[in-house]
Amino acid sequence: MTNLPQLNICDTLGQVHVSIDGTGKVTGFCGHVDLGQGIEVALAQIVAEELDFALTDVAMVLGNTAATPDQGPTIASETIQVTAIPLRRAAATLRHELTRRAALQLNVAAADIVFDQGHACAAERKVAVGTLIAATDTELLIDETAKLKDPSEYKVVGHKTGRRDLLAKVNGDFNYIHDVKIDGMLHAHVIRPPYSGRDSGPFVGTSLIGYDEAAIAGRDGFVAVVRQGDLLGVVATQPDIARALAEMLPVHWRMPPELPNMGDLANTIREQPSTERVLDIAGDIDSALHSSDKHLKRSYVWPYQLHGSIGPSCAVADWADGAPVIWCGSQNPHMLRADLAQLVGLDPEKIDVRRYQAAGCYGRNCADDVAGDALIMSRAVGQPVRVQLTRAQENLWEPKGAAQIMDVEGGLKDGRFHAYRLDTWYPSNRGPNLALLLTGVMGNHPQPVEMGDRTVVPPYVIPHKRITVHDLAPVVRASWFRGVSALPNTFAHECFIDELASEAEADPVEFRLAHIEDTRAADLIQRTAEAAGWERRTGPRLRREGRMAYGRGFSHATYVHGNFPGVAAASAAWVCDVAIDTETGEVTLTRVFVGQDQGLVINPDGVRQQIHGNVHQTAGRVLGEQVSFDSIEPTQKSWGDYPIMTFPQAPAIETMLIERPDEPPLGVGESAAVPSASAIASAIFDATGVRLREVPFTPERMRSELRDAGYFVQGDAPAKPKFGLRKRMTTAALAVGGALAVGAVAMPLYRPIAPTSPPPMNSFSAELLEQGRQVFAAGNCIDCHTAPGGVPGAGGKPFETPFGTIYSSNISSDPETGLGSWSYDAFNRAMRTGISRDGSNLYPAFPYTSFAGMSDDDMFAVYAYIQSSQAVKQPAEQAQMTFPANLRPTNIAWNWMFQNVSAPLEPLANQTDAWNRGRYLVETIGHCSACHTPRNALGAEKTGEARYTGAMVNGWYAPPLAGPDAATRGWTEASLSTYLQTGHSDEIAAAAGPMAEVVSNLQELSESDIQAMSQYLASLLPETPESALVATSATIADLGPAMLNTQSHRIFETSCASCHEPAVAGMFTAAQVPLGKSMAIRAPSSQAVKTIISQGLHAPSNLGLRDMPSFSDDLSTAQMDEMAQYLRKRYASDLDAWPSE
Amino acid sequence: MPDEKLHLNINGHSRAVAGDPDRTLLDCLREEMDLTGAKYGCGMAQCGACTVLIDGAPARSCVLRSRKAGWHEITTLEGLRDAKTGQLHPVQEAFIEMQGAQCGYCANGMIMTSIAFLDQNPSPTEVEVRQALRHNFCRCGAHTEIIASVMLAAEKMKAKP
Repeated sequence: MTNLPQLNICDTLGQVHVSIDGTGKVTGFCGHVDLGQGIEVALAQIVAEELDFALTDVAMVLGNTAATPDQGPTIASETIQVTAIPLRRAAATLRHELTRRAALQLNVAAADIVFDQGHACAAERKVAVGTLIAATDTELLIDETAKLKDPSEYKVVGHKTGRRDLLAKVNGDFNYIHDVKIDGMLHAHVIRPPYSGRDSGPFVGTSLIGYDEAAIAGRDGFVAVVRQGDLLGVVATQPDIARALAEMLPVHWRMPPELPNMGDLANTIREQPSTERVLDIAGDIDSALHSSDKHLKRSYVWPYQLHGSIGPSCAVADWADGAPVIWCGSQNPHMLRADLAQLVGLDPEKIDVRRYQAAGCYGRNCADDVAGDALIMSRAVGQPVRVQLTRAQENLWEPKGAAQIMDVEGGLKDGRFHAYRLDTWYPSNRGPNLALLLTGVMGNHPQPVEMGDRTVVPPYVIPHKRITVHDLAPVVRASWFRGVSALPNTFAHECFIDELASEAEADPVEFRLAHIEDTRAADLIQRTAEAAGWERRTGPRLRREGRMAYGRGFSHATYVHGNFPGVAAASAAWVCDVAIDTETGEVTLTRVFVGQDQGLVINPDGVRQQIHGNVHQTAGRVLGEQVSFDSIEPTQKSWGDYPIMTFPQAPAIETMLIERPDEPPLGVGESAAVPSASAIASAIFDATGVRLREVPFTPERMRSELRDAGYFVQGDAPAKPKFGLRKRMTTAALAVGGALAVGAVAMPLYRPIAPTSPPPMNSFSAELLEQGRQVFAAGNCIDCHTAPGGVPGAGGKPFETPFGTIYSSNISSDPETGLGSWSYDAFNRAMRTGISRDGSNLYPAFPYTSFAGMSDDDMFAVYAYIQSSQAVKQPAEQAQMTFPANLRPTNIAWNWMFQNVSAPLEPLANQTDAWNRGRYLVETIGHCSACHTPRNALGAEKTGEARYTGAMVNGWYAPPLAGPDAATRGWTEASLSTYLQTGHSDEIAAAAGPMAEVVSNLQELSESDIQAMSQYLASLLPETPESALVATSATIADLGPAMLNTQSHRIFETSCASCHEPAVAGMFTAAQVPLGKSMAIRAPSSQAVKTIISQGLHAPSNLGLRDMPSFSDDLSTAQMDEMAQYLRKRYASDLDAWPSE
Repeated sequence: MPDEKLHLNINGHSRAVAGDPDRTLLDCLREEMDLTGAKYGCGMAQCGACTVLIDGAPARSCVLRSRKAGWHEITTLEGLRDAKTGQLHPVQEAFIEMQGAQCGYCANGMIMTSIAFLDQNPSPTEVEVRQALRHNFCRCGAHTEIIASVMLAAEKMKAKP
């Protein structure tokens, strides 16, 4: 391979653009990269066309620093119109050289040579192209005068061409950056500082106080903790281990200062320090504004938005003894190489940056940051290291698409656009590499960059104008995102001219045309309007059908990129239709027609795909996307409350490509995005007469504007009733105090029972231990006596009760901290009466009232089992009880009032043996009533008809097992049996939380015991069944549209619906029971629902139950409260809303 | 009772799991089985990039612990083509013909979900296709081409015996 002769076509810097080898294989080199837009094939088409080679004979190498020319970052839609120029010239140079050599060899005139299937041919004679390359060949300079092919002869360019990467992408072979594996590769999980997404200020790079490596060192898979400044990460052998260890590592940070008020973007951004650049002045703006017939002053606001790459960033670095190799998904490999060189103090030439395709980035995301992370980690551990960000890290830290403020003032005179003053603020820069900032290698000072000027000059002839950009540093990390500042600037220009047209009582398209001099732009506007079926109008048409309003809007723009005045890319025009529910404010984009002028079209398929992508992505941005912040950081850590365009929302798109084969090709990566917001705003105006001047156009914003305009709009969330739960609890506590006042003096404290030495391990028979094991399991002892993440049986699990927090005790056989020194007498007394060995009273959360009925045999068996268990030394946690329940005598009073059984339960003669066995298991060992029976104000189980009617326990809901509410669920003995054996019964219930652990433990029981329990439990149900609960209490239609547009509904759709309303039946990870059957949603308090949302579900391994992720990091407390109410309203519509807490 | 060694049935082959049986199926496939067709996108079953088929039904492998997939048939993107002939699955073919991907990072989820969906609904309307993919996110905006791919796939599958 290396011995093949090769001829390189180079520029004056010696950078190769096209090469050919002795086999005739041609390779094009481009410093830009394929971001998923399919540019690879378009570039290959250009080379193949100019050479007259088949497309299959041309390969492309993109974005490797070692091989490709430095052509700057792949931004601004420049690839086709900038970087492809030397490529085309290099191909033309090669063609002329090959033609010259072939003509010599074949002894014919150069004009007679044609290329066909790898051969240079002249009449009957031909020579293989590869043989024209000599062993002595090296390089040839690009001939700037080489004649380019006439576009009228094009056979490859301009024709639909399929992308060449899809086969590998659809069969799993494609090697994305995320899939790169290097020998000896380790994995790092980075731990980011608390100032998420900020890039300047004295705290940047200086906030890490310390960490406790000893807490994780030595654990399986641990390799190292690496720290440089605020750049911190845990390196491990596997990615999931690295993450788990990183989450376990105690780290201390200084808290950052608060963000400015991000709820008022316009004022916050205007007030930042900025530098003014006046870019275009005409006439006398001040007097012209004064003399206008109609004078308008407007502010337009663009929010922060996420690039929202579907794959969080990833990179691999191998320090390789100071000659590092970086595998990354960067948009700008050469720029990254310079950053990395600065980071580690190397000559850039020493660093080899190899670019792989990543998930689409649409601008500057964290792709470069992780390359810096990986390089620092690899240097520290001396092995290749891969860094993969989480979704939350990507969302928090990506340089956001910047917010932008456009203040506009302008006027009409004699029906013409007379004056226009625009001031714009764009707090953004190039997104300095995070590793440079976190390590302190780069200063943490604000770094403004002049990028707010894209398409900042409107395309109209206006006699008086003044266009000013206020350059300012980012408030939070912000950098380019598809459309850059041209998208917001166009939002202002085009909304404003739409307003002027309406003030002038002119048709918006005609009004624009009346102020356009550029004939090519005018042609695009005219042809698009005509082809899209534009209907002339001189004001909003307010077309209505019931509550729905329909409108059509227009906008157009030329995307201008690069330093001001910049270079024009393709121009695009939009005609779009919207349907608006005037009561709910929901805007549906039904159709978008895009006309586009991109000069010569290289690949019509590729151009159309870029138009579709621009429309879908940007319409989603305009209709729903906005980054929100709390006082410190961005709040959207997942897709949960950051909804992007979904398939049901995707509009119908029609495209019209204007044919201009004689004009140079123009970039199309962003152009069709630019008119989006203003076109949609124009359509909303046509439908409703309402002007939206701030993106996104959410239902909330739409409702607010409609309400101000006098529309009837559905009310927001109903007022929440107040409910004095806390007050009720206070009353209960006082009542206990009252009982105490009477009883305390009269009652003796119990005697302690002396500690004994632990019984010898061989003193119990195997049969006895097996019986004990079953009792231990049936009693679900292990679940309550294990702390979250703790050692089984060692206690420490907290129980929140109305009277304070108590912790379960250590029931292992440890003599000091467990039950090892307890005699059977002490154990038996504690189990039956709640009196501990030392004579103190156990809190009634320990269900001794149930255990009191256990048989002596079972009691001894479980004692034996516990004593033969492994000893775990773990002292008990101190209970934190509120007065007066913290006083031991109160418990004695309690026992005196409520504890009335302390002897084994006797079977009932008129019942079957199985029933009696079931009753015994349920009522004593199983202590089902401890959770499923509500407790009175003093914490005792209620009796009589209240027994088994369901209760809130430790943040969970134990649903009714008796009474009418239990009957509506449709339980039978058979379904109860299935449930107790498997954890779920189709369409009735799936065990969750503590009940899942109960069922898991019940697996130790014999089938006959399970049948017995089922028989007894079934007998608790009323004889006449109630009408069954409808599985889905409310369809979306029943909910009423107002429900659909709440934030909770959006979060439900993005975070919950994939498993709770799956789009494809049978989803293996979906919930097993519909939410309409969820007892948590039917509970008396919202706490159980919130417990599940916040903790998620972790199903026991031995059951066919499913997990649910925790949302505690993702949703705020307020969002969880609202979500609980939403679920109640949607899935338990027969019940009242929960009282607010 | 000590855990028995976990075996997973992946693309028709039984594979022993050496790592933690409680790590997600996605991690197990990508790190241990060298099957990288399923992608990490959100880790919370929101985006669909990690979708695999389990007993023919879609599963979000980022929230599924490996052990929960024991005793089931797991199919990944790599296992769709005919093992003997190498012939692509008609849904894969349709995604190539209709160019149903830009960056293609979401393509795994789109294809896997579509296969399960078309199995249940061989003659879908466009509206039904959109609904079936409503919990799969595409950020490039390839929605038009993806919908067309699924519609073409339905035709191809009907044409096959």
